[in-house]
Amino acid sequence: MPDADLVLELRGITKQFPGVLANDHVDFELRRGEVHALLGENGAGKSTLMSILYGLYHPDEGEIRIDGQPVSIGSPREAIDRGIGMVHQHFMLIPVMTVAENIVLAEEPTTAGILLDFATARRRVEDIALQFNFAIDPDARIESISVGQQQRVEILKALYRRADILILDEPTAVLTPQEAGELFGILKGLQREGMSIIFISHKLNEVLEIADRITVLRRGKRIETLPAAGATEQSLASLMVGRDVLLRVDKAPPTPGEELLEVEDLHVLDERELPAVRGVSLRVRAGEIVGIAGVDGNGQTELIEALTGLRPAQSGRFSVAGRDLTRAGTHEILGAGVGHIPEDRQRRGLVLEFSLAENLALHDFDRAPNSRLGWLRPGRLIERAKTVLKAFDVRGGGPQTPARALSGGNQQKVVVAREVEGDPRLLIAAQPTRGLDVGAIEFVHRRLVEERDEGRAVLLVSLELDEVLSLSDRILVMYEGEIVGEYGPDVTEEELGVAMLGGTKEEVAA
Amino acid sequence: MSVGAATIEREGLSRLVSARAFGWLGVTLGVLAFWLVLPPVTARSPVVPLVMGGLGVLAGAWALREGAGRRLGGGAIAIAAIGILLGLLATRSSVEALDSVFVWSALIAATLRAATPLTFAALGGIFSERSGVVNIGLEGMLLMGAFFGFLGADKLGTWWAGALCGIVAGGSLALVHAFVSIHLRADQIVSGTAVNFLALGITGYFFIEVYTDQGTPGDVDFTPTVSIPWIEDLGFVGPAIGNMNLLIWVAILFVVLAHVVLFHTSVGLRLRSVGEHPKAADTVGISVYAVRYAAVVVSGALAGLGGVYLSNGITHSFNENLSAGRGFIALAAVIFGRWRPFGAFAACLLFGFTEALALRLPSAYGEDQAWTTLFRALPYVVTLIVVAGVVGRSIPPAAVGRPYTKQ
Amino acid sequence: MTSGPTVHQPGAAPEPDAGPDTAAARLARWHRAGGVVAPVMTALLAFLVGGLVVLATGSNPIEVYRGIWNGTGFEWFYRVGSHEVGLPFSDARVWFPWDPASRAAENLQQTLLITSTLILTGLAVAFAFRCGLFNIGGQGQYFVGAYVAIWIGSSFEGTNSFVHITFAIVAAALAGAAYAGIAGILKATVGAHEVITTIMLNWIAIYAGLYLFGQGGPLQNKEQVFSPTSNPVVEGAKLPVFWGDPFLQGLHAGLFIALGALVAFWVIISRTTLGYEVRAVGFNPDAARYGGISVARNYFLAMAIAGVFAGLAGAIDMLGWRFSIGFSDIQSSTIGFIGIAVALLGRNTALGVGLAALVFGALVNGTATRNIPPDVFDIPEQAGNLSLTIQALVLLFIGADILILWLWSKSGQRIGVGRRSPV
Repeated sequence: MPDADLVLELRGITKQFPGVLANDHVDFELRRGEVHALLGENGAGKSTLMSILYGLYHPDEGEIRIDGQPVSIGSPREAIDRGIGMVHQHFMLIPVMTVAENIVLAEEPTTAGILLDFATARRRVEDIALQFNFAIDPDARIESISVGQQQRVEILKALYRRADILILDEPTAVLTPQEAGELFGILKGLQREGMSIIFISHKLNEVLEIADRITVLRRGKRIETLPAAGATEQSLASLMVGRDVLLRVDKAPPTPGEELLEVEDLHVLDERELPAVRGVSLRVRAGEIVGIAGVDGNGQTELIEALTGLRPAQSGRFSVAGRDLTRAGTHEILGAGVGHIPEDRQRRGLVLEFSLAENLALHDFDRAPNSRLGWLRPGRLIERAKTVLKAFDVRGGGPQTPARALSGGNQQKVVVAREVEGDPRLLIAAQPTRGLDVGAIEFVHRRLVEERDEGRAVLLVSLELDEVLSLSDRILVMYEGEIVGEYGPDVTEEELGVAMLGGTKEEVAA
Repeated sequence: MSVGAATIEREGLSRLVSARAFGWLGVTLGVLAFWLVLPPVTARSPVVPLVMGGLGVLAGAWALREGAGRRLGGGAIAIAAIGILLGLLATRSSVEALDSVFVWSALIAATLRAATPLTFAALGGIFSERSGVVNIGLEGMLLMGAFFGFLGADKLGTWWAGALCGIVAGGSLALVHAFVSIHLRADQIVSGTAVNFLALGITGYFFIEVYTDQGTPGDVDFTPTVSIPWIEDLGFVGPAIGNMNLLIWVAILFVVLAHVVLFHTSVGLRLRSVGEHPKAADTVGISVYAVRYAAVVVSGALAGLGGVYLSNGITHSFNENLSAGRGFIALAAVIFGRWRPFGAFAACLLFGFTEALALRLPSAYGEDQAWTTLFRALPYVVTLIVVAGVVGRSIPPAAVGRPYTKQ
Repeated sequence: MTSGPTVHQPGAAPEPDAGPDTAAARLARWHRAGGVVAPVMTALLAFLVGGLVVLATGSNPIEVYRGIWNGTGFEWFYRVGSHEVGLPFSDARVWFPWDPASRAAENLQQTLLITSTLILTGLAVAFAFRCGLFNIGGQGQYFVGAYVAIWIGSSFEGTNSFVHITFAIVAAALAGAAYAGIAGILKATVGAHEVITTIMLNWIAIYAGLYLFGQGGPLQNKEQVFSPTSNPVVEGAKLPVFWGDPFLQGLHAGLFIALGALVAFWVIISRTTLGYEVRAVGFNPDAARYGGISVARNYFLAMAIAGVFAGLAGAIDMLGWRFSIGFSDIQSSTIGFIGIAVALLGRNTALGVGLAALVFGALVNGTATRNIPPDVFDIPEQAGNLSLTIQALVLLFIGADILILWLWSKSGQRIGVGRRSPV
């Protein structure tokens, strides 16, 4: 018997990509006014399913029903027309345009049918913002507002288009715990207005907090749909992964040794020549992992780039194992015993068209035995690669396979292998598990702890609070280019969250 | 950016402002080094350009040291050095010769003439690049417009029929570029280069086919001149703009129009959104492909019209490779003008001025002086310097040059 | 522009997960997927469409292509039979697999002459491309090399021939390197786009040449005032001719310089650390910088080395068969531009450039006016424009990799992604 309250039904959705069955006969239903969480790890097929619903992909099989009527959604336009709004994980906002321009895009109010009516656009945005109790400046440029505000603009975009089904794809990935709390408040408000919400996440605690019902996906299949009431983190985790998982990394207490990285009052400018790092001082000792937490865009990227010679320091100094490297280039810094796992492996970490052997040689291709007097020795590169790939259990290709052909997890293994193989004294890891599945994350985490135990100094920068919390021996919080707090490993997420929003700084100032 | 971005910005800006001011001072001094020795001031002492230019170099060096950026600082130094060079050259030339070259009203008229084909092409370039497609093929579209504009006017008897042919020819070539670079997702620079060759081949072929060795006839209906009675008789303005070709007025009108379309209509908003973040545009239901096709074809049509003016309005003839790099100069104007119609127009005026100067300068030294041939390279040298960066780094539309893959 | 600076936009960067996609990277994928079949199909398709163009203009494409083929001299290879061998004091005829003294031999010499130059101008584009730079300035760099070669070759009469030739060639190569280096430095320091700068440098080189060798110019031949040209290269500075008549543009030793350059290209790219750096920068400048490679230095070096190849092209043309450069030569030369099509069709590899240069050398020579019989094309000059159109089509189809891949997959072949890349 059909449920009259169902606004949306997905039946037997199947989507095949080359080599991957992303969705395998998935069923999903959404009741009016509920928050229904879609839970699964990276690559479980959550985003694919929602992209099909939003008209970005076309399913190979299956049926979509809205208000009981079978529909076909061929494009985002059709999805919008059927009242579906989506807040994408990577915001679909144009940084150089204003909030109002972004919201009205493609449905602009005009005068005389041609000219843009900025005043009306602004007023409508203000009206909706008021109606749903958002604070937002319609004339602000997207690039000058915070990530949390950008997300509200995305929600406003959907509301402006009169959506009654709202999809949020990993909405908390870029937020601090406090901002996430605010988002949940907004979602509850929308729910009261009759909005039906699909909430995609891989974070168990927030799913339990916000959702009425939870559907778990694993490897493209729907595993179970259950009410949130009564579920626990452990039960959800085993449904999600298919086995019992360690939620925390097992590690021995640290045995810190000599100071290997010393940073003293470092100042760095960003792309626009504005101060991004403002007087950072920190120390990392051998045998400890120091984590830097912070909201994206608070100077972490620039700090790492300065420490690896990719960006000049304006003032201040830093040294590795006692050697001043403030003015050194990347080549010299890497040579001085620094390994660097970059935050974006595809943009920086790998030359995707190069073979794995060539990629493994990125730092030492110009040193013996890989080359002599400017002559490259490809045979040596391949020999070395064979051993390394085996040691790090890289699958999907041999020394001569181009890096592009590997999966994300295996690509990251290659990067980690290269950075560790050079026997660095200091290992800098920036978002080392971004976009990896649980297995690969476990590998990287275990490896970082092993490196620590071998006496290396590890500096970890991550936007994932649980990653920082579970790996670090000391935690520094970065806010607006400054270190605003230092904590032990037993600090709570909430405490860190306050600091990440500049909370402690305010207190100190007061 | 986070909440306190404003405070960060202010701190950095105060230092940068003074450095940038010095940079611009250097640029100004460099221009003055040349301007002061020209009529009407006509300072005759070589000391004048040397001192002005020397100060300009110093200001540029200071700006460079203070972190105004290599482009502004280095650009100021380069401009000041060129100011000295040209200034010294001018002081060595006779006053009469200078007076004959620097008849400012005539020079302004010549500048507008030379700037017009560039302006049309540059506007085209702005539309294309704002939608995310690099259009290296402007050169070829200009050439197509020039040939088919001339052919049309010759065979159909009226200049406007010719203009229509030129627009269609430019637009058709753009359609090839659009298809290959949008649908087939080719590298846009390779594809642009290809259409440039295609234009050379096609116009060369038909040029020989139709006009063989006789060259183009002189009795074609050329684009008309607009005489404005009450302006014509004004002292300085009259000779400058009182008798301008119709298409020059059209070009100026189009600059304004392009600005309105880009920044004050929904079409413009959508176009820019596609060039900045095509996926964002796609997710609100804008067809990225349709917008890009339209923008590229419009860009070809505009460049074609520029070509029409080049052959039917300026040279009154056609020759193989008549466009002579103007499409690329227009592209430089787009960058220099920061992808904005008025900015690009200003840049086109600068390049037009150098071209006008290049044509008139040899007479100051006597036509028999072989080295005055080098003046003809002036527009290209100036473009090179401008691209190397008088102005701070310009930021292109974020998605320019990236093919968009629909999922 | 394709590799323009990007701004860090927190939280709102478009497509943050997409890897960088340089033209070099895209092309590399195309190569891996299509193997040698793709460029061959590209060329065939271009000739096919070119034939349609000919058909559209009222000529018979088969006749035209036969005319072009006959002009290339390739028939020399299959004219098996009994030929005069030109033994002194006899008219002996000997059975020989080819005809040693025929029109075909002369044509083949011309084809190889042009091929030699095209190899070098093609390498000038290819080397820069491997570093992610699109060098459209081969023509200007060719001119600068040619000017220097002419200047040195027409001076210093009576110098030892080997010394004279070596000096002229080395100086021309260095001049080309310096000229291309300007664009390289501008790219490296201020990020000026190389496409615009190299085009501007082309025009500057043209006007510099028109001044140098034009009416009243410092290097003009004073005895030939009315059609301005340079002084002729002295006998001692001419490259030795090893096949054909030295007075009728026989094939000169420049061919070996070009073949040597092919080998040098391959060695530098695949067997030196410089080549590793150049390729890394070409595929992904961000990763190269992160790996400690100086991107700016490689931009400069890649352009300078590209300029060496183009400068060499100018030198062997001047010292090998032109022996002087005139006003009209400067205005009409396109050999540097053809290098673009050669490099892209040749997949920017040494072997590929060599083969593509042969294809285009044959095309250019086959379409030269003297080779096209008037009954094929009513106006023989048209053949040159046909060759230009075919070049353009080759570029278009190379750009349109997807089209080629689609045709390729239609032909029942599987696209192998995991094919080996050269280490």
